[in-house]
Amino acid sequence: MVHFTAEEKAAITGLWGKVNVEEAGGEALGRLLVVYPWTQRFFDSFGNLSSASAIMGNPKVKAHGKKVLTSFGEAIKNLDNLKGAFAKLSELHCDKLHVDPENFRLLGNVIVIILATHFSREFTPDVQAAWQKLVSGVATALAHKYH
Amino acid sequence: MLSAQERAHIAQVWDLIAGHEALFGAELLRRLFTVYPSTKVYFRHLGDQPDEVQLLNHGQRMLQAVGVAVQYVDNLRAVLSPLADLHAQVLRVDPTNFPLVIQCFQVVLASHLQDEFTVEMQASWDKFLTGMAVVLTEKYR
Repeated sequence: MVHFTAEEKAAITGLWGKVNVEEAGGEALGRLLVVYPWTQRFFDSFGNLSSASAIMGNPKVKAHGKKVLTSFGEAIKNLDNLKGAFAKLSELHCDKLHVDPENFRLLGNVIVIILATHFSREFTPDVQAAWQKLVSGVATALAHKYH
Repeated sequence: MLSAQERAHIAQVWDLIAGHEALFGAELLRRLFTVYPSTKVYFRHLGDQPDEVQLLNHGQRMLQAVGVAVQYVDNLRAVLSPLADLHAQVLRVDPTNFPLVIQCFQVVLASHLQDEFTVEMQASWDKFLTGMAVVLTEKYR
């Protein structure tokens, strides 16, 4: 079970308060699909994913990205119990969506990079460390119910 | 392997790093050691708490190697051969560590370039650095 120090929690919640979840969500999912094109395998129904600009502008990508990052926001309210917070979603990703948990790690890393573009100097090594710990914890929690 | 567009993105970003390899390299190492402390096992020659000078020196060496790779991107195997030998025979860095360096590298670029670190930039650099890692670990066995 991952444990966050007070400083790590502060680094996480402090930044999260300033994030535009809708924009960042679309950005994160879009970048995942562009940088790691094989991840497009889950989104056949999303329409035009033929180029970077098509992906980044795709309304379904934006909507789904927002959904994913909003759920991430829920994690931040439950830092002491990520496994519990993501139990249902874990079952969903295994039983219905059949998503390789490696994809959670890839998306987590993309989220960190986006935060770095937004927060620049403020995204210090210590802040990055707290966030990498969070995205890793979320990925593990989402994989926890796989069978 | 890399398209003309991807090479252009790589060259464009490198233009910003060239001449500042030490600073970028030091930041890369600082992030690597803070975020992924287990990577420090490969840098024991820098001591338990590497100081700024050591980070700048070693960071510069690493980024200079990246600069060489940028210049000879069509011939990575040949130009990185001595470094590939070093990693296979002497350093023997477990291959799972390279994605950690790549992630920190991307964060360094992202925090400096901000909006200019577009999705196309990220895609090009991720592909390029991954290609470098493949070459550096190719002679492992």
